[in-house]
Amino acid sequence: MGVNTYPCAPDQQTAQNIFFYYFVMEILTLLISEFTVCVAGYDSSKNEILELCLPLKLLADEKKGLCAERDFKVVHGGFSEGPIRCLRHVPGTRCMVTNDGQSSDLQLWDLGGDDSDVIRRTGSIQGSSVSQTGSRIAAPLSAIPQVLHGAQSSSVQLTHLSSRQTLYKLEADSAEPLSALKFVGDTVFLASCCNGSVYMADTRTSAAPQVSAPPSGESLQWWTDASAAPQSCCKVLRLSSSGQAVVSDLRNLEEPVCTARLDIQMAPCRPCDVTVWWAPVLEGCFSVSGFSGLIQIYDTRGWRTELQDAQPLFQHSGHAVSSPHAADTVPTFITSHAWHPERPRTLLSAASDGSVHVWDWVEPQRD
Amino acid sequence: MPEIKVTPLGAGQDVGRSCILVSIGGKNIMLDCGMHMGYNDDRRFPDFSYITQNGRLTDFLDCVIISHFHLDHCGALPYMSEMVGYDGPIYMTHPTKAICPILLEDFRKITVDKKGETNFFTSQMIKDCMKKVIPLNLHQTVQVDDELEIKAYYAGHVLGAAMVHIKVGSESVVYTGDYNMTPDRHLGAAWIDKCRPDILISESTYATTIRDSKRCRERDFLKKVHESIERGGKVLIPVFALGRAQELCILLETFWERMNLKAPIYFSTGLTEKANHYYKLFITWTNQKIRKTFVQRNMFEFKHIKAFDRSYADNPGPMVVFATPGMLHAGQSLQIFKKWAGNEKNMLDVKMQVEYMSFSAHADAKGIMQLIRMAEPRNMLLVHGEAAKMEFLKGKIEQEFSIDCYMPANGETTSVITNPSVPVDMSLNLLKREMALGGPLPDPKKPRAMHGTLIMKENSLKLVSSEQALKELGLNEHQLRFTCRVQLQDPHSDSDTLHRIYTHLKSLLKDYTIQHLPDGTVMVESIVIKVSSSAEDANSKVLLLSWSYQDEDLGSYLSSLLKKGLPT
Repeated sequence: MGVNTYPCAPDQQTAQNIFFYYFVMEILTLLISEFTVCVAGYDSSKNEILELCLPLKLLADEKKGLCAERDFKVVHGGFSEGPIRCLRHVPGTRCMVTNDGQSSDLQLWDLGGDDSDVIRRTGSIQGSSVSQTGSRIAAPLSAIPQVLHGAQSSSVQLTHLSSRQTLYKLEADSAEPLSALKFVGDTVFLASCCNGSVYMADTRTSAAPQVSAPPSGESLQWWTDASAAPQSCCKVLRLSSSGQAVVSDLRNLEEPVCTARLDIQMAPCRPCDVTVWWAPVLEGCFSVSGFSGLIQIYDTRGWRTELQDAQPLFQHSGHAVSSPHAADTVPTFITSHAWHPERPRTLLSAASDGSVHVWDWVEPQRD
Repeated sequence: MPEIKVTPLGAGQDVGRSCILVSIGGKNIMLDCGMHMGYNDDRRFPDFSYITQNGRLTDFLDCVIISHFHLDHCGALPYMSEMVGYDGPIYMTHPTKAICPILLEDFRKITVDKKGETNFFTSQMIKDCMKKVIPLNLHQTVQVDDELEIKAYYAGHVLGAAMVHIKVGSESVVYTGDYNMTPDRHLGAAWIDKCRPDILISESTYATTIRDSKRCRERDFLKKVHESIERGGKVLIPVFALGRAQELCILLETFWERMNLKAPIYFSTGLTEKANHYYKLFITWTNQKIRKTFVQRNMFEFKHIKAFDRSYADNPGPMVVFATPGMLHAGQSLQIFKKWAGNEKNMLDVKMQVEYMSFSAHADAKGIMQLIRMAEPRNMLLVHGEAAKMEFLKGKIEQEFSIDCYMPANGETTSVITNPSVPVDMSLNLLKREMALGGPLPDPKKPRAMHGTLIMKENSLKLVSSEQALKELGLNEHQLRFTCRVQLQDPHSDSDTLHRIYTHLKSLLKDYTIQHLPDGTVMVESIVIKVSSSAEDANSKVLLLSWSYQDEDLGSYLSSLLKKGLPT
């Protein structure tokens, strides 16, 4: 297993690139695209949302040597009255949709163009339920001005951005808090609940959704992600608070394809911080953070249907080791992380001490 | 309104040279006089026509201040002082004064001798220019003249770099030059006290940047160097002799020690010795760690870094060479390095790759906010930025500190209105008189209105009583009295009418002293009211009101009141 620890001598490193940044504010959430990353966070007095250009040195590839730029460049910035815990970009537009994690209402933002560097709030969408954990948001896969959102399974709706009209509502039989909401096709989406059950529905029809029960009977907390593969081979990953990961095929959620017990050290610090993502390029790999000061990468391609232990393919411990507060009793925990959409092994992670890391690792030699 | 004017010289979006003009309290100051390294013609010099269309600048400038020895801040100084013409004082710190002429001469040599350019300053001009320099110590107030004073603060960035506090009367400006808010291996971090200047002037080139941590940058650099050395390759690092080179030397030296590496590291001769000499000489300008270790060993005397000789270039095996611009331009050295690069094409192992690494130490977005927090300016001014790309930072500064943030374009003048307090001496008599009036004691938080006469003589301001002012100035006091006639229809006798007036006013003006005097007048405070009958009509009365200038308000009020008539 490769370990990205710092500080250490170059010959111990398996990472190609490491970039460490320290923000004054705690970054709560981030959203990465090919060339930019949007971060939202707060310090003691105000909440900010920033659109940053990724360091050129990271993106330059063949011309990497000729590029000295290792810094983030703030291209747009704005202020928010409340914290931003969920952040989604509507494809084909400069519109962002956010939620504060404390209510079910959404805020709309204009990221700004070339003439100004200010991100402005343009409006809001009212949620249809009272919530204390906030709404999940799913942006459509193509450039349609709609957004799917909800805090519970009973309040998931598809709203038109300009008219604010409710185009669709999920007919769910229970009101479970949601842990994730994601489009797996143009109109097909998954609403994953904290209790482990998953609803699959189509916004074009009013037919009842398919519901899949939680993978195990124990009352645990679950986090879910669906891979971005075409619907026919879309995989759904569910991770429990006991550290068990279950992989199923979208067409047959009841029968897991494989499962494993992850090497997770501690109980989650804040359930809302746990993040699980399928790698967009590396097939069968996924990342998990929020259980400690580490981000772990697992490869499911060797897993079986019988439960056994799995070791991470790679682990980034930079936040825990290099934190300026390393000596304090309050440990650093990862608040958010994301994969770069195009570069196979590049990730971005943010922690409670204001650090943001961009990192990758070298593919270990396969036997 | 009193104002401070700031004009960054240059045109359009031109970045890469600093030269800022400040007008404060009637004084004109030039901050930095940099050369634009991107041009090969006269465009590299600042355009001084803003100051004067032709002729020397001496009469138009009270002083010139140079922040540090980088050529984009001092490169045009000899041109300005010797070719355009300026004979006034030029201020800079001791290390800057020592190192500036070396860099200027080095640059002059390359430009004129190697590139063959004309219309450039000569060696003698550099010498003559430096004769006009007055060196500054940190935190020491220097009186440029009776009214203008300046003080230098530590800026980090490079050896001898300073931020400057400029004060005229109670107005002040701080110019940062280039600064760094994080300490590095050989320099400390910038520091300034809560001097609360009217304007804090800073560069905004890196204002929208969030810097990658120094350690990652260094790790990347060391990794590349180490990988090359392991492969037996040669590493060429072009640097300017003074500045970041020292930082990299310490970095490599520490790394070589830790990893027990044997490959030689070379630094160009001549300039190395001079550089090390200056760092030793100005040891107080480096950081605390260096000063502490200096007692045991000189950190600028390196075990693994030696002076380079051209013959070494042909030695087999790995090596690291710091090459200065002088070396790279010199004929033989250039050929040798070309040969190294040429090998790349013939070998399967790539022995020389090109990597650009940025090691400059500038303040970023976070650094600017930190500095504002330290100095607590009343206004912020950022130069060398595009306004459209800086609106967010402007908003951030305005929100967090509740101060205005200005962003003039090059060639544009920003006027910042200040609200200076004007100290005035008050005469003892006047003070005693004010105290005798009673009321609360003078308190800076609670302003109190008072009467006096302000005398301005030469440069002093004095507040005295009117009588004293008249005496001092040899003037006679003139009394102004107003008289007003009011017509009234009243059938009573004159004395009765007067009495009715008295009663009427007494009922209305309860707070005032109203007297009915035996000489046939009514007095309200000092205002005199008389009644007389019209010659033609006994029922028509004429009231005569008379008051002195001081009672103008009350007098006008009484006349309007009485015009309305008396109650029946």
